[in-house]
Amino acid sequence: MLPEATRYLKATVSLFSPNVFLNASKLSAHGAPSSLQTRRNLRVSHCFAARVPPQKKPREKVEIPGLEMVTYGDRMHYVPGLAKPVYPPWEMSFKDPRYYRSPPAQEMALYKDKPCYVFNQRTSILEGVRQAAWLTKTHVRPGLLPHLVSLAAKPENQLPDQDEHVQNAIKHSRFWDTTEPRPRKEKYSNTLLLNLLHLCATLQPTHPAVGRRILAENYSLAATWKRGEDLFQIRGRNGLLHCSMDPLPRICGEQEVLETSDQVLESFYPVSPTIDLQQVSVYKEEMNCTGFRGEYPYPHAHTLYFLETSDPNCQLRPEQFRAKMIMFTFGNALARAHKLYGTQPQSLLERPITVQAVGTNGRIFQFLVFQLNTTDLSGDDGIKNQAWLDEDVELYDFAKVRPFIKRKEVKVPAGLAGYKPETFSKFLALYLHGAA
Amino acid sequence: MATRIRLPLLLPRSFPPLRSLKHVHTEAVKEPQYPPIVASLTAKSKSARLRQNEERIKLISSSPVEEKLSLITRIQRMKFVVYPQTFSRNPDRWYQHFTKTAYIPGLPEKFNPATEGSQLATDQPAVPEIDDAAFNEIRDLVTRVILHEHWHKMRKRQPFLYKHQEQVVGPFLKTLVSELTYNLAKYNPLLRLSSLDLSPQVNFYWRRGKRIIPKGHRRGRQEPIRFQIDDHPHSQIRIPQQLPQFAPLEASYTAEVPEIHLAPNMMPLFRRQYDNNIFTGAKLPDPACYGHTQFHLVPDRYHRDRLARQQHSDQVEPFLRANAAASLFAWTGAQAMYQGFWDYQDVSRPFVSQAVITDGHFFSFFCYQLNTLALSVETDANNPRKNLLWGTESLRLYEGVQDGAVVGLDDCVIRLLVQFLMNRPHS
Repeated sequence: MLPEATRYLKATVSLFSPNVFLNASKLSAHGAPSSLQTRRNLRVSHCFAARVPPQKKPREKVEIPGLEMVTYGDRMHYVPGLAKPVYPPWEMSFKDPRYYRSPPAQEMALYKDKPCYVFNQRTSILEGVRQAAWLTKTHVRPGLLPHLVSLAAKPENQLPDQDEHVQNAIKHSRFWDTTEPRPRKEKYSNTLLLNLLHLCATLQPTHPAVGRRILAENYSLAATWKRGEDLFQIRGRNGLLHCSMDPLPRICGEQEVLETSDQVLESFYPVSPTIDLQQVSVYKEEMNCTGFRGEYPYPHAHTLYFLETSDPNCQLRPEQFRAKMIMFTFGNALARAHKLYGTQPQSLLERPITVQAVGTNGRIFQFLVFQLNTTDLSGDDGIKNQAWLDEDVELYDFAKVRPFIKRKEVKVPAGLAGYKPETFSKFLALYLHGAA
Repeated sequence: MATRIRLPLLLPRSFPPLRSLKHVHTEAVKEPQYPPIVASLTAKSKSARLRQNEERIKLISSSPVEEKLSLITRIQRMKFVVYPQTFSRNPDRWYQHFTKTAYIPGLPEKFNPATEGSQLATDQPAVPEIDDAAFNEIRDLVTRVILHEHWHKMRKRQPFLYKHQEQVVGPFLKTLVSELTYNLAKYNPLLRLSSLDLSPQVNFYWRRGKRIIPKGHRRGRQEPIRFQIDDHPHSQIRIPQQLPQFAPLEASYTAEVPEIHLAPNMMPLFRRQYDNNIFTGAKLPDPACYGHTQFHLVPDRYHRDRLARQQHSDQVEPFLRANAAASLFAWTGAQAMYQGFWDYQDVSRPFVSQAVITDGHFFSFFCYQLNTLALSVETDANNPRKNLLWGTESLRLYEGVQDGAVVGLDDCVIRLLVQFLMNRPHS
């Protein structure tokens, strides 16, 4: 057991209470356990809150090389005056996974001196979209491009009775999906996204290219890149991925791509760009994996779908959620770029890789279109990647099971209120991009 | 003292009763002078109890559907909880008895039997709208889906004990169902209006049979036996129009339903008391209120390999049949109740649904036709109708995946899947 834990155990064994271990390590303002503040448990009753006497420092053991210690090891019992025998640590002769102790980080095979900063699906970065843009060398523009949005305005790209079907989909996910009065948030946001995807997929008879896609979930992404002096990685599972046999067409022309080299990335000094990222010393360099192996028939990433997690430990605020969308979209694009063009940094890709992303919490949608123009991310100047981000688009205002009444006046009626059809048009436009 | 009757001094000119007796057969029937003589409603007697039941039945029959459902499921009492996927031995006979279902091996004539289909594959396609080119496309799609899940997707570690079906076969089935549905939507326009539920909930509550209460203050009295099914299929497709029937109602009169004279707790089946739910997967206002196809996943603990290790290989098929009977009875029963039919107002048209039960490699196909909801003792006394379940044995879809290619893909299974999804009303 750890020596610290042993000391705490010995000091408190006489008190014999399970609550003692909860407050065993109280930290001082400087972050180190202070002897004055430790070992007072004020949450328990007075008999346990008494001041524990301070620990006695054990006698210093002096090692004199060449001097043979006379131990009581041979005698097989304690003899006062003789030294305690020191044996080499015992190890099992066979490998048992139940009793495996991992070596410290420095002794692991993949240990490196230079740390790597990892972004995973639970990371919540402080500066949000600005930090994500800096890390991925991206120029973020608000609003989607009009030629994308106008895709859904054409009558042949619309569902028959579109509004009615979408409203039924919303009502199903918000009201009709369960025997209880209302379903929980993570359930209804998941059902709403799947219902909307189902509606979009029913356009397959009129748009056969939609049939050349597949939805994948629980795939593990990995992408590595260098930014300045530091090494960054994206690892983890993000959610649903729509993979396609055909790549998405480029959004931006060559001229505008070259113009991005004049734009300056937004800096948020004095905050370091590596804040909130997980710092690891044991990692594999050049780890690039799209999540699929072999001759995958759907190699190109089309759209990523993000949902808010129900995990109480990593609740992301909207800004951080958008940052996660940008990072994972970039990660998917970069992994595929490395596969196509190799891991050497390239300042301008001849065919930029476009990936889209949609994030939702059940009512509010975030749309993102990302174009990877360059894999040369070490310097701050040069050609940048581009992203178009449409923030906080509401699909409907309220979906109440019981009407909201204040001072005997119905402020919000029961049922679906404030439905906005433009949001589903954007969703459909992103879905049909590349197929219509 | 003698009572003295004072006669009226003036007698009426004519005595009304005699007059009406003369004209009883010639005049039109008059309104009854007195209300009908019925048993009391509030007396402490058996006839009062019967009258109360009749009044309740009248009240339920005349209410709108939502109120009807809530009146039927309002009172909570101890009921048997029927699990569609169960470890009991020979559960299929028990569940057929509880749901008054007759099992017919093989599929209805609408779907060509699997053996015939493989021989005539090149000559006549089983489904007229789908020619060979389209079928080849569908076969390629199924191959891609199998490889996507089992070969191309990188998994860091093997799934933990008893998690294989949930983590590996579940996503495969979900992808297969959604891709096939969208692909076949161009041939079956009903699928474009359908609603695909993933991990839905299906509940049904009914009464069948009677028992005599053995102990307690109500000892010796009759009590109906209540059942509840709470099913969680892997996925299901709901449609706004009803599927056509497989066989006419009268054809079920001759079918045989196994009779079991033991009490349900001998199965073993256990009683609990909680909310009575009747639910098809979505509440009443949903326009897609009829069922099309359900997909069920065989969990790890009932997998055929595990049953083979325990020397229970003969229980594989009864398990699948029981699962299909219970799940489809609950689904079709709930659909019928959403339309206003119940115990005392039996269905006027048969309700039809389909199910596919799979464990990743083996697929079994089932069709169910609900002909009667009148299963309680009073209504079942003169009810010749029975519910029908058609089903196949397990058919293997593919042998395995080797080096990025699927080995031993069976066309009959794909054909049956396509036929199931293409089922639609004739108009």
